[in-house]
Formats: sequence, structure tokens, C-alpha cells
Amino acid sequence: MTVWRRLLRNPLTVFGLVWIALLLVCFFAPGLLATHDPVRQDVTLTHLRETPNAEYWLGTDAYGRDLYSRVVWGGRLTVQAIVIALGIATAIGVPVGLFSGWRGGRTDRAIMWVVDVLFALPLILLALAIVGVLGTGLVPAMIAVGVLLSTRFARLTRGVTLAEREELYVDAAKISGLGSPTILVRYILPNLMPVLIVQVAIISAVILLVGAVLSFIGVGSPPDSYDWGAMLNQGREQILAFPYQVVPSAAAIVITILAFNLVGDGIRDAIGRSSAPPKRRPRRDAREPREQFEHPDDALLSISGLSVEFPGANGEVSCVLDGVSMSVGRGETVCVVGESGSGKSMTVLTALGLTPEPGRRTTGEIRFDGRDLTALSERQWRTIRGRRIGMIFQEPVAVLNPGLTVGAHLVETLRFHLDLDRKAARQRAIELLKLVRVPDPERRVHEYPHQFSGGMAQRVGIALALACDPVLLIADEPTTALDVTVQGQILELLEETQQELGMAMILITHDLGVVAEAADRVAVMYAGQVVETGTAAEVFGAPQHPYTQALLATMPQHHHGHDGELTVIPGVVPSPASWPAGCRFHPRCSEAIDACQNTHPPTGDDPERLVRCLRVHEIDPQPRAERGASDRNVVEEPS
Amino acid sequence: MPKYVAVRVLAVVPLLLAVAVISFGLVGLLELRGSAAEQILQEGATPEAVAKLEAQLGLDDPLPIRFVSWLGGAVRGDFGNSLLFSDASVGTLIGERIWPTLSIVAVGLIVGSLVGIAFGLASGLRPGGRVDRSLSVTSAVMIATPGFVLAIFLVIVFAVQLGWFEPTGYNWPGTDGWWAWLRSITLPGLALALPIVAVVSRQLRSSMTNALASRYVLAARARGLPSTHVVGRHAMRNAMIPTVTVIGFQAAGAIGLTVAIERVFALPGIGSLLVQAVSQRDIPVIQGSLIVATLLVAFVNLLVDLTYGWLNPRIRFE
Repeated sequence: MTVWRRLLRNPLTVFGLVWIALLLVCFFAPGLLATHDPVRQDVTLTHLRETPNAEYWLGTDAYGRDLYSRVVWGGRLTVQAIVIALGIATAIGVPVGLFSGWRGGRTDRAIMWVVDVLFALPLILLALAIVGVLGTGLVPAMIAVGVLLSTRFARLTRGVTLAEREELYVDAAKISGLGSPTILVRYILPNLMPVLIVQVAIISAVILLVGAVLSFIGVGSPPDSYDWGAMLNQGREQILAFPYQVVPSAAAIVITILAFNLVGDGIRDAIGRSSAPPKRRPRRDAREPREQFEHPDDALLSISGLSVEFPGANGEVSCVLDGVSMSVGRGETVCVVGESGSGKSMTVLTALGLTPEPGRRTTGEIRFDGRDLTALSERQWRTIRGRRIGMIFQEPVAVLNPGLTVGAHLVETLRFHLDLDRKAARQRAIELLKLVRVPDPERRVHEYPHQFSGGMAQRVGIALALACDPVLLIADEPTTALDVTVQGQILELLEETQQELGMAMILITHDLGVVAEAADRVAVMYAGQVVETGTAAEVFGAPQHPYTQALLATMPQHHHGHDGELTVIPGVVPSPASWPAGCRFHPRCSEAIDACQNTHPPTGDDPERLVRCLRVHEIDPQPRAERGASDRNVVEEPS
Repeated sequence: MPKYVAVRVLAVVPLLLAVAVISFGLVGLLELRGSAAEQILQEGATPEAVAKLEAQLGLDDPLPIRFVSWLGGAVRGDFGNSLLFSDASVGTLIGERIWPTLSIVAVGLIVGSLVGIAFGLASGLRPGGRVDRSLSVTSAVMIATPGFVLAIFLVIVFAVQLGWFEPTGYNWPGTDGWWAWLRSITLPGLALALPIVAVVSRQLRSSMTNALASRYVLAARARGLPSTHVVGRHAMRNAMIPTVTVIGFQAAGAIGLTVAIERVFALPGIGSLLVQAVSQRDIPVIQGSLIVATLLVAFVNLLVDLTYGWLNPRIRFE
């Protein structure tokens, strides 16, 4: 139902559907649309080669036959050709694909080998040869085309069947004793239908094209037929005397192919798009205060009052970062924590001038080593990114170009920033791999990203970030995508190299254990805002914001002696489009009072120790689980 | 890589074998309905003519044996003799006719791919820009316009109305000069190229958009690499992988369309040879030109596969 509605909302799809409906009328009742006899020639010779007029809507051809009526009757032949070829193609292709995909194994490989070979053959030429040997005519031609096109349906069906076969509901059906044919018809066919319908639309266009070519060269329909391809050839013969004559049949062919393509695209889009309607953003108070702080003098990187907006549906904007401030001093480690969707990655990417499209920084200052980063040109940025600030990403393999060797990544970075020659850069690349403890670096430097495990790829990621001795390292959840056993090694490597090279580091992480171990200072983010900052000792020892307290309560060491019960914060981080008014955490906060629903909480005056909570002075500073599970354990000071 | 190349080259063999089997199977089908020679010559054929044709086609032997001996000849380039063109060898006929077809297919594929890549790049780099907007409107119509339909309109406008080109005919570079040759294949080449431009640019636009949104492009920018380098080396390389596949799909279609394009421009190519042979049931010529056309398709696909393997290291290691 919703698919239909989405389909009909697209005017191009509607156009395609209407055109196909008209073709069906041509097929079932051409007399309903035609105004003249399509084959009667004008014996009086007074209406030859007319351009469109009231009597002959699309004009007449060299024999005085009405072109409009010929196009209508030609539509009938077109539908007939498509029905024959499509019927044969699906009747062969779908069962073969079902069988091949369902059986799998050697049968599947053998069938697919044959199908692949047939798939690669030139369709038009083969159809032509078949018609040539077996006798001309549209019907034998379309039978041949149908047989050849069945490979398309076989491939598609086989793919879907192979995937569906592994689904749980198919297992369940098997266990409950249903036979293969029943399962195929009742469970797999319905899942196949949508893709099959899209394919039918596309293949219809192909059939029309092949049929038109065959008739055009005179081996499909007879040369004087009103088949569109034959009409086109009749027009071609009049190209000097009456060039207009090709237009009606050419237009019929082009518009019909267009209609099939449009319908195919429309259905694909309608099925493919997620069914969730765009959410409406609640009205937000425009006078919401946005704190800006003086940049600390000794800071290496300081971010102040940073906001980023994304254009949403219906011309509204959603604000994904809202007045974010944080700073990192030379040689210092700042950890940014918070659940997914709180804006941690967005903050560091924006700091590097790499806000994802179509996002836009609306307010805020970013200073790095005394320079205003917001005013940099693309050329100036290049002296900072990769050179003075190194970035490590969450997905270690995806951030490497699959088409280039690991060495090529390192060499290009080194050569661009450090003006090294190729040989020196390669030497340095091997040294860097050695530094991040990739075994056998001389060999691995020539290997491609897909030959690296996640952990090894992240070591390469670290080597890339360290390549030019940056003063600041930004690590965006560097261990999230890795095995637990590898996580420790990577973090250890990060900390060691940081101390060795004396870099500052911003470490984004979910893992509060890591924070406790590594952080000098901590920034806690929630729903696009910083809700608490402080030294690690302050934040861990005396957390003041209820969100921080709740986060700390989820740490595993707070659970021992409590039946291993895992504490979670109820609810999820809302998406930027539906952030609540007032304090953004209030719907999930156990300490919330009525005022939290409509008052923007202040953050205090000290940029080194912010707490964004209305009740900051009333709440007991300690980690606690939400919903009553309070005063559980004393947190030991981080070492 | 050498192993990958070898596997791809060998993959051509079953393709050609399949065409051979199909074209021979057709004769077999013909024989199910009675004497093939009588059907080919149609009514009114003298018994002597039928006997001569039967001897020429070697119809006395059973089909499998004929297939093997024909295959043995075909491997050496000997496809037998034509039934109609005064007993000329099929190999000679094809040798004469291959050049016009090769010329227009090469022009169509090369020009179509290059222009398509240029447009796709321009619209992929600036989505919503001028090139992108004009392309999104025209490409749907261009994709829906078959090359041979377009060809007729190219003739009407550029040959009949403007007189820039001759409407029909092929000029041999050896006798008529290169310039005349180029003029005679421009319009047919263009007719093949324009739909390819539409398909290729559409594909490259979408894969370029994906590549630019990828993590490795973000990471390359975060390493401070200049944007020309990021686009040229990182995004383009990966965006070309699906685009190259699409170009390969276009090859078979373009070669098939030559039968109609050659009719529009009256070009003496393989396509028109095949059409002629089909209308006369000149079976050796049908078989020969089908094999050669398939060889052409297989050759283009081989080039595509090798480019694909060069762009995508993962496939080389499988």
C-alpha cells in the first residue's frame, strides 16, 4: 500500500505507468484509439506525406496511410512481442534460477557457468542468426529472444534464492516438514517478486529494442508492416523526400523504452527507500544561550562555542553540534566520552575542517597553536592536516584505499608533506611500519589493505597519522572495530608512541576503563553538547552531571558483588531532529524535575570544569545507576 | 596478475565454443524439418542444385562429425565457402567486411567512454551543478534512444540538412584518404557513442558520489593531501571499477546494433554481411560472421576484465 503511494507520488513513474496502460489499450482494443485503417493506402494520391493535421493527427506516410493509427496498431505488435519473449524468458529463467539457487553446490556452479556464457553473447546478432536459419517473422524472433533473455532472470532469481535459503524462516519451514516446492512457492517467490518486477520492466525495454532492430532490418515483421521498427525503415527510405515520416515511429520507440525505464527506476526507488516518514523537529527556543569562552593561553587546540547544522527535510535545519567547547594543551591527553550519536566525531572532524556534507559550521571558534583554523584556505589546511595534526579513524580497513598498497598510502603522505624522494619515502615508510610493530614490514609495505587484519590495519592507520611527527593526534574510537584481544595492544601502542614523541592527544572512546587509565582531562558529550568537563580525577571522583554519573555506573567494576547485573542507561540518545526542549537529557534523567523540561541548564563559568545541569548544586557528586539504583560503590581514584 | 590474465584469456574459449554449438545446432534444427538444402534453396530448386548444395555443406555426414571438421577449419580461420557470393571463402568475405565495423565500433566505444567519463566526472564532482542538472534531464532520454534511431536523425540533420557529411557510404583510408575515412565513420560512430555517453556518465556520477563520501577519501583529506590528488588517485580509481564493468556491457550492445547502424549508413560491414546472409540463408557466412562478431565482443570484454583487475587488486588474488 505504502509502496504504491510512494510510486504514485513520483510524476515520472506515473507518466511511465500511464504510457504502459495506453499500450495495453493498443493491445486489447486498437480500434478504440485508432482513427483510420492502418494499412489502407490513399488511392486518390491527395493525402500523401502530410504533416500532422486535424484529420491525420500524426500525418501520413508516402502511401497516404495514417501514421497515428499505424503507431497504435504497432503498439499492439509491440506488446505482443514483449508478452511472448517475456513469457518465455521468465518461464525458463525463474525455475532454472530457483532450482540452481536452491540446490546450490556443484549443480549451481554448472548451471551458472552455462548461464554466464550465454549471458555474454551478443543478443541481437544471435537472434538475427536464429531467425535467419529458422525463417523470418516476429514470433520466431521473439521466441529466440525470450530463450536468450532467460539468462537474465535465471541469474537474478538464483541470487535471491541463494540468499533467502539461508534465512531462519526457511529453516523453520523445513523443520516443520514442508517440501521444497512448497517452500519455494510460498516463501521464496514472494520475496523474489519485487526485484523480478523491476527486472521485467527493464527487460521489456530490451525486448522492444531487439524487436525494433530485427523489424528495421527486415527479418522481424514484414517490411510494409506497421511494426514500429518496420515503420522506421519505411521512414528512412523517405529521408530525402519527407524526413518527418520517421518521427512518429521513432518517438513511439523512445517514449516506450523511456516509460519502461522510468517505471523500473520508480519501483526500485519505492521498494528501496526506508519506510520511515521524515520526523518533524520540535520547536526549539531560538534564544537558547550559547556559551563562548576565552581561549586558554596555553592550549594547543581550543574549540569554543562550536555549532554545526545540517539541512533536513522540508527546509528545516537540524543542529547536530550546539555550542561545543573543549581544549587540549601540549602533551596532554583529553578523552571525549559519550554514547553513539552524541556528536564526538562531528566535533573533531569539524575541528579539522572536514565537516561531512551537507553539514555547515554556523558558530564557534577553533584555534590551533595560535592560528584561527576557521579562516584557513584549502592550501593552508594542507600544512596542518596530516602534517601537524594526525587523525586515526574508527574503521581501520575502510579508511585505506582498497586499490593502493599500504606502502603507497605512506609514501604519498610522506612525499607530499616532507618533500622526500621516492626512495627515501619508501625507506621511511618501512621504518614507520616497524615503529608501529607491523611484522615483516619490508614485505607488507607492498601488500594491499584487504590483506591486513583489522588490528594490523589500525597499526597502519597509526603509522599514517604519525608519519610527519604531528604535535596533536586525534584518535576517533581507534579500537571499537577491533577484537577485544587486539584493543589492548593498540591502546598500549598509542600511549607509548604518544609519550615517546611528546604529542597531545584527543581520544574519543566508549571505553571508560581506557579513559580512567589514559586521560589527563575528560569531556563528556550528550546530544550535541558538552555536559561536563574536568580533570580525570574530578570527573571520575566527583561526577556532577547525572549523565556522567549514569555513564560511570555502567562501568563493569561498579557491578562486582551485585550478581553481575549490568547497569544500562534507559532509553537511547535521541536523533538531532528530535532533541527535547530544555535539558536534552531530562527524559532519561532520574534526577529531573519539572523545570528541566523547559529551562536550558547553565554550564557555570569555569571552562575547565563545566557542568550543564540545572540541579548541579543539589545533586550528590558520585557515579550512580539511573532509576533508583544509587549509592552503590565508591570509585577509586584513577592512577 | 599473470594468473589472472591467463584465466581471463581462457574464459573466451567457452564463449566461442557456445556460439559454434548454437550456430551448428541451428542447422540441426533446420534438418529436423527435412532436407536443409531444399529449405535453403526454397521452391523451384532443381535436383542438381540441391545435390550440389548438399555436397558443399557436407550434409551427407552426420551433424557431430560435420561440427568437428568445421571446428577444425574454424580454428585455422577457414569457415568454408559462401553459398551465394560466387563461392567466395567466408574468411575472405569477413576480412573485407570487418574494417568498417571495427572502425565504427572503436569510435563508438572510445568516444562514448571518454566523453561519458568526462561528463560523469564533472557532474559527480559538483552534484547539483550546471553539468549535473543538464545531464540528469538528458541522460534518461539518451539512454532510451537506441543508436539506430538516433542515427536516422543524425543523417537528417548533419547530412541532409546541413550537408556536413555524406549520408551514406564508407571511404577506405587506403584509397580515399584518412580524412575521407574519418568523415564517413563520424556519424555512425556518434550514433553508437551517444547512448554510451549517457550510461557511462550516469554510472560514473553515482560511483564518484559514493567514492567521495567514502572513509578512505575522508582519511586522505585528513592526511592533508591536495584535493586534485584525492579525487584523481583515490576517488577516481575506485569510481572507475563499476564504470569499467558498465562499459563492457555496452560493447555487446554496440556490436549488435551495428547491424542496424550499417543499414542506415549503407556501410559494407559485418552487420550488413550478416543481414544479407540471413535473408539468403547463406549458412556458412552466418556462422562465420557470428563467430567473428562474438570474438570482437570477447576481445572488448577481455580488455575490460584486464582493466578491472588492474583497478581492483582484490580480484587479482582470488
